[in-house]
Amino acid sequence: MKLFFSLNHRRQLNQRFIPHILATRGSIPRSHRSAGANLGIIAAIGALLSMASPAATQAETVRFTASYYSAETEPYFKKMADEFHQKNPGIDIKIEVVNWDNLLQKLTTDIGANANADLSIIGTRWLVDFQKQGLVEDLGSHMDQSFQNRFIGTLFNVAKLDGKTYGLPIAASARALYFNKQLFTKIGMPDGPKSWSDVEEASKKIKALGQYGFGLQGKEIETDTYWYYSVWSYGGDIVKDCKAVFGSDAGIKGLTEYKKLIDEGLTEPGVTSYSREDVQNLFKQGRVAMVITAPFLINQLKAEAPNIEYGVVPIPTETQPFSLIVTDTVVLFKNSKVKDAAWKFLDFLFTKDPRIAFTKGEGFLPTTKAESEDPYFTQNEKLQAFVNLLPQGKFLPLVTGYDAMSDSVIRAVQNVYLGKAQPAEALKQAAQEADAALCK
Amino acid sequence: MRLIRPYLLILPAFLLAFLVIAIPFADIARTATHEVSRFGILIRFNGADNLLKVFRDPLFQSSLLRTLWWTLFVVAGTNLVSLPVAILLNQKFYGRAIARAIVMLPWSVSLTMMAVVWRWTFNAEYGMLNSVLERFGIISAPVAWLAQSELAFPIEIIVGILVSIPFTTTIYMGGLSSLPEEIYEAARLEGASILRQFFYLTLPLIRPFVNIAIVLNVIYVFSSFPIIWVLTEGGPADGTQILVTYLYKLAFRLGRIGDAAAVSLIMLAILLVFTIIYLRTQEKEQGA
Repeated sequence: MKLFFSLNHRRQLNQRFIPHILATRGSIPRSHRSAGANLGIIAAIGALLSMASPAATQAETVRFTASYYSAETEPYFKKMADEFHQKNPGIDIKIEVVNWDNLLQKLTTDIGANANADLSIIGTRWLVDFQKQGLVEDLGSHMDQSFQNRFIGTLFNVAKLDGKTYGLPIAASARALYFNKQLFTKIGMPDGPKSWSDVEEASKKIKALGQYGFGLQGKEIETDTYWYYSVWSYGGDIVKDCKAVFGSDAGIKGLTEYKKLIDEGLTEPGVTSYSREDVQNLFKQGRVAMVITAPFLINQLKAEAPNIEYGVVPIPTETQPFSLIVTDTVVLFKNSKVKDAAWKFLDFLFTKDPRIAFTKGEGFLPTTKAESEDPYFTQNEKLQAFVNLLPQGKFLPLVTGYDAMSDSVIRAVQNVYLGKAQPAEALKQAAQEADAALCK
Repeated sequence: MRLIRPYLLILPAFLLAFLVIAIPFADIARTATHEVSRFGILIRFNGADNLLKVFRDPLFQSSLLRTLWWTLFVVAGTNLVSLPVAILLNQKFYGRAIARAIVMLPWSVSLTMMAVVWRWTFNAEYGMLNSVLERFGIISAPVAWLAQSELAFPIEIIVGILVSIPFTTTIYMGGLSSLPEEIYEAARLEGASILRQFFYLTLPLIRPFVNIAIVLNVIYVFSSFPIIWVLTEGGPADGTQILVTYLYKLAFRLGRIGDAAAVSLIMLAILLVFTIIYLRTQEKEQGA
């Protein structure tokens, strides 16, 4: 209840006071702010003075909300803001880094208060809601063909709705299976698993060695996605024409397979208490032998668990190899007063060097062609495993009601993992709940 | 003029209270009776639709029931532990100031941080609890404490009790320090046992403090968010969802802000009813 009060409080306060605060902030030259405490006072006085004469606008300020990917995120964007400012002294970039868990909530409150930034990184699946509410700018008028040609086509098209581009792919990630090479060599399967029967066989042998086989996520964000891998692996799909189709035979097979792994003790015990992060940690400790996740684990393993030898293979499948491609999108808000300046910054971010610095630092996959030709990608075998999967990419459906579906699916699979429901019935009910929310 | 004067005198305070309470309330009520976009923009008036939708949601019903259990157990447990602790700390013994400080200390730590620490403690693979239990040979394999709601919810109740103790103990210590020493002296002279002293002197005399401790704890615990959210996010499979986590999920996970506002109105109503009943019983006791 407390939270809700504060939400509404802020809305009212902000509507009245935020514009003034912004106006003053915008007129503080960046050089003053980055200097010492004394200059800070001068800047404050300057701010007071400029409040008296709002007409004096020299520098435009672009506010950018970035999502927290790693400890590198903030330094990277700050550095880019500085470099950009040196090239464009008339434009100030203000970076704000927000945790993923809070990002949607923050954007929701900020937008409700009309106090949102000019640019923001968002999860691509939120885009439909943003676009439906008329909050994001159609970027068509800002970019030409040569700008579009910078991007890898499939990734660029993700943020297209009704043929219009509402965002640019700033981060791309795919999913594959990491396996512990030391353990897999011991059991005589050094190339890793290809199918679910491989996973079962390997897990049984690894269990005999005293470790857990298949790392299964059963808690918090992406618990549904972790199960979707198995749906796709049996040739199924998630949503078709605004109908939930995950309850098909493929879905039931996938869920039954996961349940079997749990029941035979081939996963870590108590899967419903493990978030994705937790399972990755078990992999870093050498406690689980397999985990399906994104390329960023490569960097983490390098830094935190350099002793773990591992390989990367496609997600186990009974049909074609595939991957899940997830992108994050940067959008320009319609209510921005500095659209041209904001666009300039985007243009700069999507040139070669800034892109490479970002992608390398965060351990993402390239979204522009210039990056993908960089030796960093072409010569890294493990990253290449992900890049090779890009053409076989599956995407999560871009529909309204995705969150509601996600909620129902997580509840269903958790109930099955816990033995409180049977796969077929649980999925049937989840599909009914999802159908009531999809595309509404 | 003479008639109006007292009202004029309380008017500023009244206005202030009115603004602080009424404006947010009006805003919530407005949100609850509108169709609202996920960005908090009101779309159209829809009367009691949100309220009815929430009432029909089976998840609301189970969360409501669980909230009642949660409040009952945490408040009862907290008071049962805090009163003896307060009596102990009220005795004169060497190092009492330090003991008091230690009991009070957790109060100064943010509830969310405490919950995060507990989350680590209960972690199945690298949590402190499993490691201790294994070392003493009590368990042979790690227990996934938070994997099942049947286990996770009682654990959350215990954590809820532990974090509520400092505040409640403070109330009781305030009460105990106001009791006159003479009556105990008299009781001892008459040969009353410690237990009799407790039940016939201490308990009746600190009754008002017990009431305050119960009411304030009910209000705090009923709408306490961090413990359950940090430990299990209301899961697995919504098995530890209470009203306030359900409300948060509606608003910020599912974007159903209008429904969430309706839930917060319901919560307000429940607390209001509880407080009124409490005030009534208080009045009766004072009258008698």
